[in-house]
Amino acid sequence: MITMGIDLGAKFIKVVILKDNKIIAKSNVLAGFEVDKSAQKAVDNALKDAGITKDNLDKVISTGAGEKLAPFYDETKSVVGCDSLGAVYLHPAARSVIDVGAEEGRGMRCDETGKILDFEVNEKCAAGAGAFTEAMSRALEVKLEDLGDLSLKATEDIPMNAQCTVFAESEVVTMVHNNVSKANMAKAVHDAMASRITSMVRKIGFNKDVVLVGGVANNIGFVGSLNKDLGLKVVVPKEPEFVGALGAALAAAGWIGGK
Amino acid sequence: MGYFCTYVPEEILYAAGVLPVRILGSHEPQDLTEPHIFAMFCPFCRDCLAQGLKNRYKYLDGLMIAQSCLHIRQAYTSWIKHRPVEFSKFLCMPHKVQSPHAYEFLTEEYKTFKNEVEDWMGKKITDKDLKNAIEVYNENRRLMRKLYELRKRDIPPITGEQVMEVVMAMQMTDKAEHNKMLKDLLKKLENHTPDRETGSRLMILGSEDDDTVFMNMVESCGATFVIDDHCTGSRYFWNEVENGKDLLSSIASRYIDRIPCPTKDWEERKRIPHILKLCKDWNVDGAIIMQQKFCDPHELEFVSIKKALEDAGVPTLFLEFDVTVPIGQFKIRVEAFLEMIGEEDLF
Amino acid sequence: MEQEAKYPTEKLKCWQKAKDIRMKFYQDYVEAHDKGGLRWAGGAWTFDAIPAGLGDDVYPITSEPYSATIAFDKKLSLECMEATEVKGYPRDLCSYMRNYWGSIITDKFAFGYKDGEFVPRFQGAKPIGFPKPDFIWQDHICCSHAKWYQVVSDLEGGIPMYTVDNAVGPSHELTDSKIKYVVEQLKDGIKFLEKTTKRDYDDELLYKAIRNHFVSTSKWAEACALNKAIPAPLDEKSIYSLYVLGTLQKAGKQVADFYEKDLLPEVQDRVKRGIAAVPNESFRVMSDTQPPWSFLSIFRYLEKFGCVSIGSLYTFGLIGQWEVKKDGTWGAKTIPNMEFSSRDQALYEYVKYELHKPEWQHFYSCHFKSDLMIRIAKEWKLSGVMLHYNRGCEGLTVGIAENRLALLDAGFPVMAFEGNNADEREFDEARTKAKINAFMETLGAK
Repeated sequence: MITMGIDLGAKFIKVVILKDNKIIAKSNVLAGFEVDKSAQKAVDNALKDAGITKDNLDKVISTGAGEKLAPFYDETKSVVGCDSLGAVYLHPAARSVIDVGAEEGRGMRCDETGKILDFEVNEKCAAGAGAFTEAMSRALEVKLEDLGDLSLKATEDIPMNAQCTVFAESEVVTMVHNNVSKANMAKAVHDAMASRITSMVRKIGFNKDVVLVGGVANNIGFVGSLNKDLGLKVVVPKEPEFVGALGAALAAAGWIGGK
Repeated sequence: MGYFCTYVPEEILYAAGVLPVRILGSHEPQDLTEPHIFAMFCPFCRDCLAQGLKNRYKYLDGLMIAQSCLHIRQAYTSWIKHRPVEFSKFLCMPHKVQSPHAYEFLTEEYKTFKNEVEDWMGKKITDKDLKNAIEVYNENRRLMRKLYELRKRDIPPITGEQVMEVVMAMQMTDKAEHNKMLKDLLKKLENHTPDRETGSRLMILGSEDDDTVFMNMVESCGATFVIDDHCTGSRYFWNEVENGKDLLSSIASRYIDRIPCPTKDWEERKRIPHILKLCKDWNVDGAIIMQQKFCDPHELEFVSIKKALEDAGVPTLFLEFDVTVPIGQFKIRVEAFLEMIGEEDLF
Repeated sequence: MEQEAKYPTEKLKCWQKAKDIRMKFYQDYVEAHDKGGLRWAGGAWTFDAIPAGLGDDVYPITSEPYSATIAFDKKLSLECMEATEVKGYPRDLCSYMRNYWGSIITDKFAFGYKDGEFVPRFQGAKPIGFPKPDFIWQDHICCSHAKWYQVVSDLEGGIPMYTVDNAVGPSHELTDSKIKYVVEQLKDGIKFLEKTTKRDYDDELLYKAIRNHFVSTSKWAEACALNKAIPAPLDEKSIYSLYVLGTLQKAGKQVADFYEKDLLPEVQDRVKRGIAAVPNESFRVMSDTQPPWSFLSIFRYLEKFGCVSIGSLYTFGLIGQWEVKKDGTWGAKTIPNMEFSSRDQALYEYVKYELHKPEWQHFYSCHFKSDLMIRIAKEWKLSGVMLHYNRGCEGLTVGIAENRLALLDAGFPVMAFEGNNADEREFDEARTKAKINAFMETLGAK
């Protein structure tokens, strides 16, 4: 059985193709302004990679903020449902999943099958999502991909009140004037964001097996801050940005965990 | 006994041999209260609750609140559920302090409360105990008024930041001890001339405020806070208990007639003439109106306060406070404000 | 996603009548002076039986439902919000209040006349200004109630105002002294009304109004209790259009009659015949706090999943009066069976009855509200709960996060969504629908 999962995130479109529940292809394309075209491209790339055509697909599930913009799909499924399914597939002990994407942070609890029991999504504010690190890296004039490494060189904790991205940017300006080192500022940014995410996750509760997915999971500085806040070590799967698409493809295949 | 609002009749507790300690926040960002308080309530109530959840007030045997704003009530209700204490009390302080019927009502509430405290402590509160407590508290209030009188001087011997520390200490310690220290302080200040420029004379008013970092910043920009209207300031101690029908009703009258929190200042806005008088008596050049983010009672007030002050020739600067304040940004605004009121002096 | 009908459904027959009563309420207010009558303003919770003693030609406008009407008119609402912000009032204040103030500042009333007919402004009415009330008669239990009208009075250049403090503690701790404190304020209030309006006060009219009040609040609860039936005869979106009458004039005869003689018999009949509000009912939820008024479509969206919102503590208990029945279940409060012989006695009974209002209890402790919500969740047989974290109303969201924890503890799945009852800028429809999708998945829909 061949299935496809499409995850139309705010920033990137991810596609995963499964054959008998094994990944045979994936692709990742920047969403840009013409989301439908980018989605087409992401799907085409994955099909090409797998060496198959659309007709070979038994079922396709689309998920994410732009789920309706996928070029074709049989069903849609919520992102939180896909995330937890993907996380349980990769890490069967997972009962709590945190997904930090570009525009949204989410926390969820699930059972052994990957079914969600409770979830929370951060509210209309970018301070708990990837867009925050992006804005902060601009303010610090550091490349986004270097922000994580940079923060590991920090020498002290500087509290930052990340209630709002705009406010936080001006807090950074104040820090610049106070000659705070870039490394310390980078850490302050990650701490603030981790605090927002932890705050949200505490609302639903969590146990020791927490899986962190979404693009921001690649940021080693953020992961460190989050571990410290939660008081545990989160599991970060390889290529965490694909977990949502993987879950969608698994759902299309009717896969459930724990069996 | 931890208390959440200055409408708690501390005299009754003190008379029972209970030490009232005000619950305040720590000004640190935290991530514990999100499951308990919806984000649009004031940062102060969340900061207070965080202290409870972090077990930083573990030494408390009891917790209480008197009915005031909804925000702080949540810190209390969440706290007693998740960190239970031996004795807890929601005291039904009336809202309509301008009603002549509030006195009798509150006196009855006090009677019940007194019985509850007696049951808890396992002993009666005698009139002698109450009289003593009233005397200690009244003396404290008189001494504080003396301290505030000194700030009327052209060169106030004490800064606003230092006074804020005195008030906070006052809300945390035994008033008898505080009285001793206050007397010492007053003696020292009597002939003291500080080694700093007074600069512009400011008033600060608004929500709960114990942000000494902010006070320090402003006072290092060429200004001195000479007076305030805060529940962590003058509102707390301005009025004394006066002799009334009986002891409990005298205490009730004190809390009903005190300078009100805006939640209780209706239908007439009685706080405004009081604030204007403070400005005049302390010869204020400008006023900083601050409020805790989302603090509705004060938000409902500052438009008319601002207008009243400006009509009286007192320029104002409005600032919204969070758990931590963006010192850099506020400094720019404060400096501009001071420059503005400094220039006005020329004409 | 669309599911097949399991039950028969019918439109409510009393629907048009409810609409007519509502329109007449606003029209009477506008035209009061033409007939030599009086008009006054106050909140939905105010003791409205009291001004009724001034005569049969005294017409109120209640602030919250009026502001909800503005919220429904997105364009007007935005104008009102912005006008209020220009005056310096912060955006996080009660959004009803901001709509109301804005309507005064811009002098735009939400209703008017079109070809002689009284209709809402958004239906093309010729604009009229906000008719200034002769006096303000308010109550105070949340941080904003009395302050709301201080500002109204400021904006209108001064209106005589009287506010009653009804925050005297939870119903299970009521004492004679607490009731008397409110009664004495009402008596002072009557003196205020006589002085302000220069009219003589008629106790007989007061007694009638109090009786209407008992009937409205009890019969409303009785209708809501019928929603325990499966399938539910009423869905929350319809409930909103019905409960509103109680928020307009609970002491009014037209409202008491409507609940007792029109609505209640019809709902009883629907239950008897198994008529469903949502024909594909498979899941039952309740909401909490005021809904985002300009996005009631989310309740229709639920129906696609076979989900019906059967009401809420808010719609049941904002106006309705309840009590625990002999069998331990929650039902309509028994109407006091007595003749009124004096003003003092009538006021005492009125206050004693009213202080049991379910929606006043959480002001003293959110845990009381949790208990009531869990009771509803059990007795109305719910699969889950949708909590509106309403940025527009602190009075009803106070403690809502604790309610969520308690409901979860009691085994009910909860979806919390953020929004605002009257400031549509703070509601994100797409995200809320995405949340509903996920929530329905957890309930097992699809």
